[in-house]
Amino acid sequence: MQLLDIKNLTIELPTDNGVIRAVDRVSLSLKEGEVHALVGESGSGKSLIAKAIVGVLNNRWRVTADRMHWQGVDLMRLSPEKRRKLVSRDIAMIYQEPSRSLDPTAKIFEQVAESLPDSCFKGGFFSRRSERREKVKALLHKVGIRDHRRVSSSYPHELSEGVCQKVMIAMAIARSPKLLIADEPTTALETTTRAQVFRLLKSLNQLKNMSILMITHELEEIADWSHAMHVLYCGQMVEAGPTTKVFCHPYHPYTQALVKSLPDYAHGIGHKASFFALKGTIPPLQHLPIGCRLGPRCPQAQRECVVTPDQVKSHGHAYACHFPLLQEKKKCNPC
Amino acid sequence: MQPVLKVQSLNKTFNTRAGLFKRKRVKVLKDVSFAVAPGETLAVIGETGSGKSTLARVLAGAEHADSGQILLNGEMIEDNGQQNHDCRHIRLIFQDPTRSLNPGLTIGDMLDDCLRLNTQLTKHQRDKKIVATLSRVGLLSEHYDYYPHMFSGGQLQRVALARALILDPKVVVLDEALSSLDPSVRAQTVNLLLELQRDSGLSYILITHHLSLVRHMSDKLLVLSRGRSVEYGNSESIFRAPKSKVMQKLLAV
Repeated sequence: MQLLDIKNLTIELPTDNGVIRAVDRVSLSLKEGEVHALVGESGSGKSLIAKAIVGVLNNRWRVTADRMHWQGVDLMRLSPEKRRKLVSRDIAMIYQEPSRSLDPTAKIFEQVAESLPDSCFKGGFFSRRSERREKVKALLHKVGIRDHRRVSSSYPHELSEGVCQKVMIAMAIARSPKLLIADEPTTALETTTRAQVFRLLKSLNQLKNMSILMITHELEEIADWSHAMHVLYCGQMVEAGPTTKVFCHPYHPYTQALVKSLPDYAHGIGHKASFFALKGTIPPLQHLPIGCRLGPRCPQAQRECVVTPDQVKSHGHAYACHFPLLQEKKKCNPC
Repeated sequence: MQPVLKVQSLNKTFNTRAGLFKRKRVKVLKDVSFAVAPGETLAVIGETGSGKSTLARVLAGAEHADSGQILLNGEMIEDNGQQNHDCRHIRLIFQDPTRSLNPGLTIGDMLDDCLRLNTQLTKHQRDKKIVATLSRVGLLSEHYDYYPHMFSGGQLQRVALARALILDPKVVVLDEALSSLDPSVRAQTVNLLLELQRDSGLSYILITHHLSLVRHMSDKLLVLSRGRSVEYGNSESIFRAPKSKVMQKLLAV
């Protein structure tokens, strides 16, 4: 059964100089127990989509969608209270920059204890205190913090970024949600801690059957354990499909450029040779080009590209391009 | 070939508070030595707290070493904490260009400051030099009057590079300068850096977590662990057969 089913999600920001369409008709669907990756560069609207799903976007943003179903319930039609209740029970989110999103004035213990739902306490009023302490300890152990006593009695600024990230994950999984949205959980971390966090998320996915929507701009890290991948460019979904397909046979020039810009996947590239890179830079939100937003930078762009391409779907692999790349036989690492 | 930068047994300690009155001395760099030839890239990798950033700061002159020597082109520029270098020959590029550039100055003013304070050039010569440097990093002369907020992230990194290159340095230290960039912007920046290295024989000291990038860009590799250099040598051979535990651990993940 579809856990999350979003069709044509559009997020707009009305300003004095017209409406800025930050996210343009993005569709996304997620089954239970799947890991999906949302890939794109900064400013491509990845975080906006995540926030729109959770419903924490500022009131200024206008969110519209043909449908946004969570297990068959349309989130857009629920009243805010009901929606908040549903989302807080089933969806958890890990935000960017853990040390900034934790409360600097409260100790870790209080913050983690606050995220525990009331329903997880079995004993009476008087045993709450010790029960809470036990639960926090168990949660911290679960995310791989061994020194729970020191961590739970310290403030966020006293801990390293990696530990803060683990605390954030502990708080997110406290309610054992069905969907975990991780918004760039590893950008601030170094290689070894990053691997730990990924291992943790992977094991949560496998053991608890928790779905994960991973938002990242590091392709190579999620390439080998995500089931599907959605590539965004400037708020438009350029390509979506099973990870191996997207990686090995990209249809969209942008996806191809993204894959080729990775040292590990650029085949036959010599030491210190230059990478394949698209010319130009990502346009700012105020000056988005019409039609296909990659148009001005695209090597294959032609006149038709001033019209927004429709999404074409075949065998679960969707792409939005007027001139999709022809398939050639080539070797590829993850296949 | 004569190395452009030579570092001999660099030591650095910091004093930290361990109690109300007690102080603890933490050794951040212990006996670090290496040499970089012109046109070469030395990558420095290690976990957090291994002293990578301290090394970068000591090299750039922002921090004094306790003991050890730094030689630039055979000339002593730091000897047991006695510094006599200006910031001309070794330049540092910081991690986040959006935060390391002054938002209140135009790009031209910022670059002009570097020249005004470090060289004897006249106003006219300085302007010429700024325009030349901007075009060298792939920016336009119109960008002279732009403020940092008017640039995108990738362009800002170019501005930071221009600020480093304007004094014609011999060594550029990249302290996590490539990690925070988006993949396509990073590819562009790497291309630019490699091109500059090919054309003008710059040496880079690349400090990063990004192992595949290290493998691609670097000639030599220095692995730090708790301030100690645990492995040093040709990067390709280290990647093929890592000897130290730290490197094996880094490569295993």
